[in-house]
Amino acid sequence: MLFQLESVTKTYGAVTALSNLSLSVPTGAVGLLGPNGSGKTTMIRTLLGLITVDKGSGSILDLDFRERQLDIRRQVGFAPEDECLFPRVAGVEFAAYAGELVGMRSKDAMQRAHEVLDYVGLGEARYRRVETYSTGMKQRLKLASAIVHDPKLLILDEPTNGMDPAGREEVIELSRDLAHNKGMSLIFSSHLLQDVEAVCDHIVVLGGGKLLAEGKLKDLKQVHTSCFEIRLKSEPASFAARLNSLGCTTDIREELIVVRVPDGQSQQMLWKAAAEHHEQIRFLRPQRSTLEEVFLKAVEQH
Amino acid sequence: MPIFDQGYQHWSGELTGHTWRWLAITRHGVRIGMKNRLLRLAMMLAWLPALFLAFSLCVWGLLEQKSDLVKPLLGMLSFLGPEILDNPKNYRVEIWTLCYEYFLLTELRFSMIVILLVGPSLISQDLRFNAMPLYFSRPIRRIDYFIGKLGIIGYFLGLVLIVPSLVAYLLGMLFSLDLSIIPDTFPLLLACIGYGLLMTLSAGLLILALSSLSRSSRYVGLFWLGIWFVTSIVGSVLEGVNREQRMHDAYRKSYAMERSIQAGPMPKNPEEQRKRMVEQREAAQKLRAEIYRDELEGAQSDWRPMVSYTGNLARVGQHWLRSDASWQKIGQTVPADARDEFLLRSMGPRYPWYWSLLLLAILFGISVCILNFRVKSLDRLK
Repeated sequence: MLFQLESVTKTYGAVTALSNLSLSVPTGAVGLLGPNGSGKTTMIRTLLGLITVDKGSGSILDLDFRERQLDIRRQVGFAPEDECLFPRVAGVEFAAYAGELVGMRSKDAMQRAHEVLDYVGLGEARYRRVETYSTGMKQRLKLASAIVHDPKLLILDEPTNGMDPAGREEVIELSRDLAHNKGMSLIFSSHLLQDVEAVCDHIVVLGGGKLLAEGKLKDLKQVHTSCFEIRLKSEPASFAARLNSLGCTTDIREELIVVRVPDGQSQQMLWKAAAEHHEQIRFLRPQRSTLEEVFLKAVEQH
Repeated sequence: MPIFDQGYQHWSGELTGHTWRWLAITRHGVRIGMKNRLLRLAMMLAWLPALFLAFSLCVWGLLEQKSDLVKPLLGMLSFLGPEILDNPKNYRVEIWTLCYEYFLLTELRFSMIVILLVGPSLISQDLRFNAMPLYFSRPIRRIDYFIGKLGIIGYFLGLVLIVPSLVAYLLGMLFSLDLSIIPDTFPLLLACIGYGLLMTLSAGLLILALSSLSRSSRYVGLFWLGIWFVTSIVGSVLEGVNREQRMHDAYRKSYAMERSIQAGPMPKNPEEQRKRMVEQREAAQKLRAEIYRDELEGAQSDWRPMVSYTGNLARVGQHWLRSDASWQKIGQTVPADARDEFLLRSMGPRYPWYWSLLLLAILFGISVCILNFRVKSLDRLK
């Protein structure tokens, strides 16, 4: 288990940030989703042992977050959301210092800093003062300093914030590589659903301090038995009209028709209609929910 | 695209325990500080008084051995008086104490400059660049952070105050060639180390507190200069005004006395005239002695030097070195009628030293409160 929470409640005055939250998440790449004020940051801080919860218990990497905060932070790498720097140092000194703060010896930290800077693509800029780095470089530097001590778990809080598409893609690629090829568990908190979808295989959706949805991404993106995506050889509008006349609900999305068949009907109905209409179906598959739909549905349900 | 890309490699080294984690912060701060040219220059200049201290202690060691090497210097040392120069061993502790006192007073000023160059950016830059989340999301507690930052000040003050004291002590000991010097002068060494620690704790924590109040290290530096200069100037002005007042009172007393002696008509008899002049001289001497005695007594409860921050540090240092006792002993070599005047001019402030310690403790408490309020752990950060 990567982490588990049991009836965790945390309040700030009148505001309840986490409300009786119980959750158990396996190792791997975990996406943390939720609108602003949903409790994502409070949950990360709870997991890092940075805050005292009002009620409940839990553990991360099998360490009780109420008692072994420092041990947890030794085994976790955390890249915060905000722009934050150790001032007046070069990139390599920055990463080495981050390692020393976790407990690495100076020499090890410096050697390791060079390695991780190469890994995140900052090898050329390692001797430049960090104040001169661009936003994307700073994000990658934060990532480098979070993994300098080779943590078991990496927590990235909005890692693609303020980045251009190319830089964003690089950070996503690095995160995916670390989580899927290097055996490092990952908690990826972001409001960009496509980023989470690209990196994570397990999702936790929070809202109002409560758990709205949780599970494997492929399970959450459920297959719809009455909803299909069809692509035809010809133009879709006339066939969509034909399907509507048969009691289906259709939605044309460029070349694709999304069809909901009436209750009790199956995809056979679509084949039959195509044959009658002399249409050639090039592509037909049951529709899957997108992550966006999963997220919106979870938020709406609560 | 690199020719050979290793990708991510796992690291299998061991992490050290929590106890010395603050040392990483200190080491980093020292590395950054040593890049500052001005600081390096100030450190070099701060070592000059140490050379004089070492030279003085070595000369005294040679003087104790009646070495021919110091004969050319005897003329320069004549201000010490024959009694001291004839028995240098008897006055060893006193001379060492006074040498260390002058050394520490000079180094106090250099220490303030060193703190000015090192201290203002210690926390203000971390606040400006939002470095706190980077610290506190790692296994660093706030106390580790504060001790680490204080360690930076301690390192540089140690180089200015403690290391030169130690080196000078060792040199002085080597030149005296007498083992009895260790029990005689060892308390001095302890006093120097204690003084260095006091400076680090008091001034170090104060500059950290100031540094946490602003994101601009320039403002912090100016504030530090303000504390140093303004309090010193105000303290000196208050002392000056008080001295003027006392002088004025003394003058009035003296004038009243002269008037009482000259009350009657001047005798015509030369013998009577001579007698009256002797009376006047004796009365004036008696009055002067009374004034010096009053001044010495008054100095014991004069709080005005306490307004100066550096004055308080110096007063505690003076007490720990026991320089008052040394002045008293050297004062015994001065003629009795001039002794009070000598002591008044030589000794510094004489108010109770624990007043200063109490004031420094209050400042320490305020600094801790400011740091506690301004440097928040991550749970309280936005």
